[in-house]
Amino acid sequence: MMDELLGIITRSIIISGTATLLASTWSIPLAYRLSHKTRAGYIRSILEALVGVPTVLIGLLLYMILCSQCPLGLLGILYTPIAIVIGEAILVTPLITAVSLYEISRVRARYGELAQSLGASDRQVMEVVLKYSIPGIIGALLMGFSRAIGELGVALIVGGNIKGYTRVMTTAIALEVSRGEYEEAILLGLLLLLIVAVIAVGLRMIRGGRD
Amino acid sequence: MYIIVAFITALVLVSVIYYTGNWGVVRVRATTTTSLYATGLLDYLSNKYMKQHPDTRIDFMPVGSGEALRRAGDGEACLVLVHAPSLEKEYIDRGVIYYHRIFAYNYFVIVGPGNDPAHVSNATNIVDAMKKIYNAGEAGKAKFISRGDNSGTNVRELMLWKKTGLDPNDRKWYIVSGTGMGQTLVMADQMNAYTLSDKATYLKYLASNRIHNLKILYSNDTALINIYSAYLVKGCNGKELERAKGFIDFITSSRGQELIASYGVELYGEPLFYPANNKTSLADTWSKLVKGLDP
Repeated sequence: MMDELLGIITRSIIISGTATLLASTWSIPLAYRLSHKTRAGYIRSILEALVGVPTVLIGLLLYMILCSQCPLGLLGILYTPIAIVIGEAILVTPLITAVSLYEISRVRARYGELAQSLGASDRQVMEVVLKYSIPGIIGALLMGFSRAIGELGVALIVGGNIKGYTRVMTTAIALEVSRGEYEEAILLGLLLLLIVAVIAVGLRMIRGGRD
Repeated sequence: MYIIVAFITALVLVSVIYYTGNWGVVRVRATTTTSLYATGLLDYLSNKYMKQHPDTRIDFMPVGSGEALRRAGDGEACLVLVHAPSLEKEYIDRGVIYYHRIFAYNYFVIVGPGNDPAHVSNATNIVDAMKKIYNAGEAGKAKFISRGDNSGTNVRELMLWKKTGLDPNDRKWYIVSGTGMGQTLVMADQMNAYTLSDKATYLKYLASNRIHNLKILYSNDTALINIYSAYLVKGCNGKELERAKGFIDFITSSRGQELIASYGVELYGEPLFYPANNKTSLADTWSKLVKGLDP
């Protein structure tokens, strides 16, 4: 029982962590590019709207791509942790991009333009802007991670809630509830809350150092 | 400013109309197993019932049998429709549910990939079928997906393994999915695995093209019988109780039984459920299932 619980928790952290890092490889460059544009307001609104996209919708769309009769069925990654990683990476992309964009734009307005006026090259401007954006970007990543680890739809639909393989905290909670074992569901829920709370405090500390 | 005020006023009006529209309506809270709900049978029956009692709404909460009974125990339902005899008995003994009526039955089936690597279709009986899956699993030729969710189907599957004297737990080929029947069928289809399913959900998913390779490989009219029971919940009273009891009486009446017998025949070519009134031995079979005996 305890082994299984620990397995579920570490699995959740690894899967959601990988998903967040994967999403950051495209979200942060995207945010940096968008911060160049002076009129990125529309894109920003669209990104913010996409932050609330239902997780089951992403899960379902991904299923319709990955199933064995589907376009990418040959990859054989449906009902594996990889499928959850991909789904969660897509899920947190708008959130990470939107928050990073906000942070980078702020830094660019404060330091980037100054650097430019002092004759810095594009590359040097980028170095300065990114360097001062790091706390904000880390904050964005932690927010993305919280969203990923707390989502249910993707993990259930493309992960399949397989014991010891794709069962994560949220799917385990849903399962315990459907078994009528509310006590265990609550225990798992509290642990999930604890993880997310620790992250929120970490976020506060990182930001506190700057503001 | 005026727009905002107008908007809020409209919102308030709409919600007032919405809630007053429900005045005088008796709502019956019902927890039910997913197979009864997902096949559409319950909506069909409750619509017929509501024609006689237009002021009644039956709110079905489709969950596994384990959760359905648990919610009843918490006083969150007035009517329970489930198919897990041994679990039901626990709740009867605890005094949570009463007024037991068997209203329908059908069969569990073993479904699996069409090429049947475990040769389940040649099995002589259910124990043999399960053993064949176990052996093929050990040989790396087959997989089996278990619901693992304490649902009626899961309870029966575990009972079947117990009869074989084999323990599939923690074997690599024994996948515990923890998903509902429909999704488990989709997973078995995608992973070329075997699973135990109620026949109704299988037929429904087959007809709606959700599954492609899964075939019924073993069925048995006695050993795999699947019995659906209705109960009232202690603590529920007043008009809600009256209508819940009315609904149970309706589905066990000759008219209700006819409706159950004909449901889905047009769409699936065969009935999804059989009415309980054509089989007198059901109560005996139910008691045997409670004790874990062969039905």
